[in-house]
Amino acid sequence: MPESIKADIRAFVVENFLFGDEGDAPEDDASLIENDIVDSTGILEMVSFLEEHFAISVADPEIVPENFDTVARLSAFVAGKRKTVEAAPTGA
Amino acid sequence: MSDIRPLEREDIPAVAEMFQRILRGRRKPAPRGAHAYLESLFLDPPHRDDEIRSLVHLRDDGSVNGFMGVLPMPFTYQGQTLRGAIAGSFMVDGHEDDPYAGARLLRAFQSGPQDLCLTETANDVSTAMWRKLRGTVLTDYSLEWLRVIRPAGFVTAMAAAAFAPAAIAKPLARPFDALLRRRGAPPQWTHVANTEFSAKALATEKADIQETAALFKQFAATFALHPKWTENDLQRMVSESGRKTNYGTTVRRKVLTRGGKTVGLFLYYGDRGGIGRVIQILAQPGHEGAIIDTMLADATDRGLTALRGRGQPGLVNAMLCRRFAFLHASSSIVYAKDKTLVEPFLAGNAFFNGFAGESWSRLLGDRFD
Repeated sequence: MPESIKADIRAFVVENFLFGDEGDAPEDDASLIENDIVDSTGILEMVSFLEEHFAISVADPEIVPENFDTVARLSAFVAGKRKTVEAAPTGA
Repeated sequence: MSDIRPLEREDIPAVAEMFQRILRGRRKPAPRGAHAYLESLFLDPPHRDDEIRSLVHLRDDGSVNGFMGVLPMPFTYQGQTLRGAIAGSFMVDGHEDDPYAGARLLRAFQSGPQDLCLTETANDVSTAMWRKLRGTVLTDYSLEWLRVIRPAGFVTAMAAAAFAPAAIAKPLARPFDALLRRRGAPPQWTHVANTEFSAKALATEKADIQETAALFKQFAATFALHPKWTENDLQRMVSESGRKTNYGTTVRRKVLTRGGKTVGLFLYYGDRGGIGRVIQILAQPGHEGAIIDTMLADATDRGLTALRGRGQPGLVNAMLCRRFAFLHASSSIVYAKDKTLVEPFLAGNAFFNGFAGESWSRLLGDRFD
């Protein structure tokens, strides 16, 4: 998984949910919900960020803790989506 | 695994209990009438469109813990028919324990086939969520207006709404208001003076359901973007709007010029000594002030202590010079994939709120006894 994806997500979390305070940045596998970093509004903010920053499309069933609960899961989700896009046939 | 799917008949009991507990703040079980109305409204809504449906969120065990009520409504703009969807009754049981439920419901709603996603009842949390999904909050449509008529009675009515025994003070308010309404040159923020509006009021007549529906279509058509109601569905909406027991008596009057031409209509609810709630004001362009004067005269004559209602950009100027106060209670929001469709809303040239929303329905203001 490209480290740049994780770095961009981490930077977004710090800037938007932690008022830019790097000292409070969560561990990669720390739950963003259980640590009160993100709520329902934050989840939607994250969806918009992923779609616009990484040029991916997030389907409603994909908005689940398995994809969104930690920085590591978010990074893996984005990497997976990008791999799918790159592997898709481009047409005749 | 948790899931989202369209509302089915078997979900109604769970949705009714959430509606009763979360949105109405009652501990008692939802009355049977609420079950029946939710089923009728959301499974067989006016302007039914089987691709635009209400949504439920299911927990891992399959039980319902979230709901988004969706009312389809076609609109017309620049000769095109648009598919609109009005969202309301948005609720999640224990949303703090499952923040994904609300997020997914709103996202699923926005991902539907409609051209316009609308709501007129977004609370602060919902508004923040809509904003994150690039919804546009419409300030002019989100303002709640208030016009005090009898200030002492108004304060007493407010107190009684929060604490029923305070209604005992109502008789004490009347002489104070009577005295105040004889003083001060109108217009005043504090009260409506005797004959202030009655001297300017036009004639009114009670409008029946068919006539009201026809007038809705006539006056809404003066907006660039407006609902494309069907006759039967609009008549159903007008009929259902007549049952808001908590709001009081329905007052639905058309406004006539001296020559007998209908130039507007107002629809509000209220009883003597109470605060009236206005659901819709329709006015022929250029006659907004006259319609408002006539409505205030009517409410004053009926003994109401104040009128309140939802903002309409085309009425704001007429309201300002008549000493209306404005505040914010909930937000009106629009989202469209085609951003040009948001423009008529931002320009105040869209007919939105009231009968182009959900506040006509019995969900707001009825007891379902």
